[in-house]
Amino acid sequence: MLQVQNIEKYYGSKNNVTKALNRVSFDVADGEFLVIMGASGSGKTTLLNCISTIDTVSAGKILMDGEDVAGLSEDALAKFRRERLGFVFQDFNLLDTLTVEENIGLALSLNHADAQTVQNRVREVAEKLGITEILSKFPYQVSGGQKQRTACARAIVAGQSLLLADEPTGALDSKASKNLLEIISTMNRDMRTTILMVTHDAYSASYAGRVLFLKDGRVFNELLRGDRGRSVFYHEILDVLAALGGDVSDVL
Amino acid sequence: MTYFKLSMRNAGRQARDYLVYFVTMVLAAALIFAFNALAVSGEVLALTEILENFSLIIVLASVAVVCVFGWLAAYSTRFMLSRRSRELGIYLLSGLTGRQVARLFFLENLAVGAVALVLGAGLGGLLYQVMRAIVMAMFAQPYRFALEFSLAALGRTALCFALIYLFALGRSRRHIRRMKIYDLIYFERQNEGAILQKGKTRRLVFGMSLVLGAVGTCLLMRKSLYIAPAGAFCAILALFGFFLSFASGVPAFFERRPARKYRGQTLLVFRGLTAKLASMGVLMAVLSIVFTATLISEGSSSVLYGIMKGRTAEATCFDLYIGIEGETPDPGPYLTYIGKNIPVEQERPYPVYLTGKTQVQDHLGKMYYNYSCDSDPVLCWSDYAALRAIAGYPAVEPPGPGQFPIHSMTYLEEALRDYQGTILVGETALTPGGIYTEHLSQSYGTANGRGYILVVPDQAAEGLPVHHIAYAAKTARPVTTAQYEAVADLARAERDRQEDPSGYVFVLSKAYEETEVAAQAVVGCFPLYYLALALMMTAVTILTIRQLSETEHYRSQFALLRKLGMDRREMARTLGRQFALYYTLPTVPAVLIAGSFIVHLAMMPEPGVMVGWNSPAVIVMISLGAFFLIYAIYILLAYISLKRNVLASAR
Repeated sequence: MLQVQNIEKYYGSKNNVTKALNRVSFDVADGEFLVIMGASGSGKTTLLNCISTIDTVSAGKILMDGEDVAGLSEDALAKFRRERLGFVFQDFNLLDTLTVEENIGLALSLNHADAQTVQNRVREVAEKLGITEILSKFPYQVSGGQKQRTACARAIVAGQSLLLADEPTGALDSKASKNLLEIISTMNRDMRTTILMVTHDAYSASYAGRVLFLKDGRVFNELLRGDRGRSVFYHEILDVLAALGGDVSDVL
Repeated sequence: MTYFKLSMRNAGRQARDYLVYFVTMVLAAALIFAFNALAVSGEVLALTEILENFSLIIVLASVAVVCVFGWLAAYSTRFMLSRRSRELGIYLLSGLTGRQVARLFFLENLAVGAVALVLGAGLGGLLYQVMRAIVMAMFAQPYRFALEFSLAALGRTALCFALIYLFALGRSRRHIRRMKIYDLIYFERQNEGAILQKGKTRRLVFGMSLVLGAVGTCLLMRKSLYIAPAGAFCAILALFGFFLSFASGVPAFFERRPARKYRGQTLLVFRGLTAKLASMGVLMAVLSIVFTATLISEGSSSVLYGIMKGRTAEATCFDLYIGIEGETPDPGPYLTYIGKNIPVEQERPYPVYLTGKTQVQDHLGKMYYNYSCDSDPVLCWSDYAALRAIAGYPAVEPPGPGQFPIHSMTYLEEALRDYQGTILVGETALTPGGIYTEHLSQSYGTANGRGYILVVPDQAAEGLPVHHIAYAAKTARPVTTAQYEAVADLARAERDRQEDPSGYVFVLSKAYEETEVAAQAVVGCFPLYYLALALMMTAVTILTIRQLSETEHYRSQFALLRKLGMDRREMARTLGRQFALYYTLPTVPAVLIAGSFIVHLAMMPEPGVMVGWNSPAVIVMISLGAFFLIYAIYILLAYISLKRNVLASAR
């Protein structure tokens, strides 16, 4: 589904260049749940921003179903974001003038879907995510966990196939985090949504099928969960993270 | 949810979040409506022919006002865009195109503008009534409240608003379409830094700005239209230099003086201020220039009105006055016309003599302005007493034997009191016998002296050379324009008849002069006040928007300070000081530059005009008073809002 090929990202001016991403390559298969981990400044959010078209790459290619997203026109890019991408931020980014229902259905309605379709789709997704009872409330009237579930609903309501999540549990307490992670797993498992999640939390990462570790803008390591239980996978992730604190040679 | 619904909802939120901006736009619409309603009012335009250009002048002033409010709208929408960039980024990320987001924002602002226009037009209707009442009072005409709504004014206001919003929204539309999604979502992470980093450059710029400010103010005060623009240019450069170097220089000042930094709340106050000024140096300079322009507009308007009032007050003490100078001054033709056409209650033709000596003139010396008499002018007592009665002044005791009273304009009163010399009028020696200073038509060549006149016993005046013949009358009804024109035509004909027309006839009618002054004040001063109000409201709104947009930042800062143990009273004091400094800074240079300019401007007319309520000091006080009254209203509203939001949450 997604192919990231040798992408590089530089920031700064001629005399002071920061290499945020350095020849990063990986593929994401349809229906996969991939987590990208790394310390602060490792380039994980930059990578997610490049994939989500929030930011552009300095070199390399990002292909969605074989199509280079960098080459899309403004209209095609908008259509791509609308139909293919869903994004969940750490701080929710809900529009506070809209109710939960309107937040979820906003993109659909602004793109001229008929009212009935919008309502049906919103109700359907809200039911799956367990937020039906708060649909008429405004974001300031609901809890952090509910806000993030609303953001998830918004990210998949139009049938988007790729959900990009940037530290989605970062602003939640442990109970709400667990709840959200369960929901994301369900979306991945039951709705076949491909998930690419950035986190620095090993517990969150243990829900994934595969974990990529970034360090100084490069892919440093990769862990596959396979048939192992989440608890085992969690400890393996912690081991890599411990190594990640040292040098590459400590792990290889 | 449609574009329209979302736009309307956002418009409602915008009006709430940026209430100051919304209120200012309502007031802007009211202002534009009221002035234009006045300019197209048949009742007002019919007051005098002099007002025939009033409509055109208000159109021209409205063009300037549209530019001013256009700037406010452009600045505010741009500012809102930056504050809501994340939200716009979310729209883009949700799959909307830049065009669609721009349209959404456009619709939202159009809705805010439309509501402001409707509310403003309603308020403008009331403001128009107030202004109409003022104009009618200026023309001494009765005012009757009448519910009327000018469609022409509404059309003009709508056109102005369309221009204001189209200009502002056109710019924001281009801005939205150019902005990248990354910049929108991560806008808050972008830093704004001090423009002048190096201490040496900063000190140099600061020093130069002070010098340029002084030079600019001096040049502005020169009586030259060619030099004034250079002065304005220097003043503008000075303001930019001052605010850019001041904003980045304050931290350096305190770094070198750590003891002062940690005294009281200085640390919090100066850090809060410099954080804001570091990113607002250019804006502060622009706002200070706008405040200067506001004060200069207001002050010039008051000076203009003062000059007109001052000159007229002296010239309108009689219902009708004629001064006839020339080879053979003959009041005959005038008296004949008046006898036939103008009903008169009291009248007096009389001669104005000269002593043939310049004792009093010499005493006054340089104070005496542009005299036109070769020697001290003289009135005989009986004429003077009659003139006082015609002007409606209380009768005064005749002077004691051997005394001569002086009637003068107020500006000479003090100097004349010092005069103790004896004058010789013909064969009679006279000593000073009191001073009277009511208006007595003393500011023209063919008037009752120029600035002063000596009043002598009738016998003493006999045989003195006559400077001119004068005529003063109290009429039963105000002299009409047609009557005034007819007398003025006689004067012109007399002048044309003379072989050497060096002398002239001066005709003054109280009613005509007052109408002319009222008309000139309406034509000259109203547009200046119109512009001044627009400038003032714009600048203070921008300042307030910037201040209130940081409510959240203040709230978290003061919540933290509360946790660190800061007393609530101390917090209120710190907030108040930050607030006071923030609002004071841009007004200081404006008051200094504009204040000097207004004082100088008010001192330009001939002496005796700008006195009493028109004196330079009073005009400066009134200009500053009006300025700070509006300023204070905005500050008070902002302070109450900030205090309530910031300190209430820091419990």
